[in-house]
Amino acid sequence: MASLRIEVLERKHRPLLKAFRNQAPSLVEYLHRYALRHAERDLLARTYLAIDADGDTDRIAGYFSLTTVSVERSSAHELPGLSKLPRFPIPGVLLARLAVDQSVQGQGLGRYLFEEALGLSLQLATAGPIAFRLFVTDAIDEEAVRFYEHFGLQRLSDACPARMVLDIKPLTEGSP
Amino acid sequence: MSRFQAQSNAVLDDELEELRRGLGLRDNQKADLLRELTSLAAWVVRQATEGRAVLARGDDGVQELVHPVIDRLRRIRDQAATASRRFELNDDETRRLAEILDRGFAPPPALVESLRRLGDPERRAPELTWTDASV
Repeated sequence: MASLRIEVLERKHRPLLKAFRNQAPSLVEYLHRYALRHAERDLLARTYLAIDADGDTDRIAGYFSLTTVSVERSSAHELPGLSKLPRFPIPGVLLARLAVDQSVQGQGLGRYLFEEALGLSLQLATAGPIAFRLFVTDAIDEEAVRFYEHFGLQRLSDACPARMVLDIKPLTEGSP
Repeated sequence: MSRFQAQSNAVLDDELEELRRGLGLRDNQKADLLRELTSLAAWVVRQATEGRAVLARGDDGVQELVHPVIDRLRRIRDQAATASRRFELNDDETRRLAEILDRGFAPPPALVESLRRLGDPERRAPELTWTDASV
């Protein structure tokens, strides 16, 4: 029986990377070429793999990458009515990429990976050594926008890729 | 791997002459030679800009085209790939963010369900069926 596990991307996974397929070339390319470098050499982002094991064969069914993000304003002039907004820059966790192999789409893995990413971020927000306010992503297209809106993220721009945010604060209130 | 070396003008002239002959162009077709070389170089630069490696595949294996310009294009691309770590909001986006944070939060059912599942020690990953048999 097949079983799925989540692992942090390491060098040992390199032989598995090339088999990953997705309709968005940038999501494939990131995993093939940059994810390991960003995780191990540059320390820019950490990637988590969903590895499906069927007997002796491992395949990457999906992945997501997390990093920190600083949300800032592009201009310094004052805007009225923003008194309740936290001071910029606002720290956040960026769900930089989330992708499911095209051979296993439509089976709930995207949701499962989103939950994993959110769960890790909430752990960091409640029990980690740093504070941050936002869970952020750049939705690659309208389908991705609808996916994230389903889970409560709200878009900041009408264009795609669309910047989308989830306020972490209400989700962590009441946590120790 | 092949790596281009800095070459003297004389060597470059010889190289250009060889390329002209290789492309089947006459001595008075320097402009055509330039056009052909530009189109070839543009293709290589486009591949590098899009993050692709340029490979020469033959019976003796595969060689990757390596050149300082390609390295530089990759560095620029890498920087662009990580630039999103700093989100700069324009005024409209700032107003929307203020509305979102001011409004109060009513989590949609899917998020409530996800949070419930995250707290469930029995939570399981989906069992997947691969639609392609190849590995």
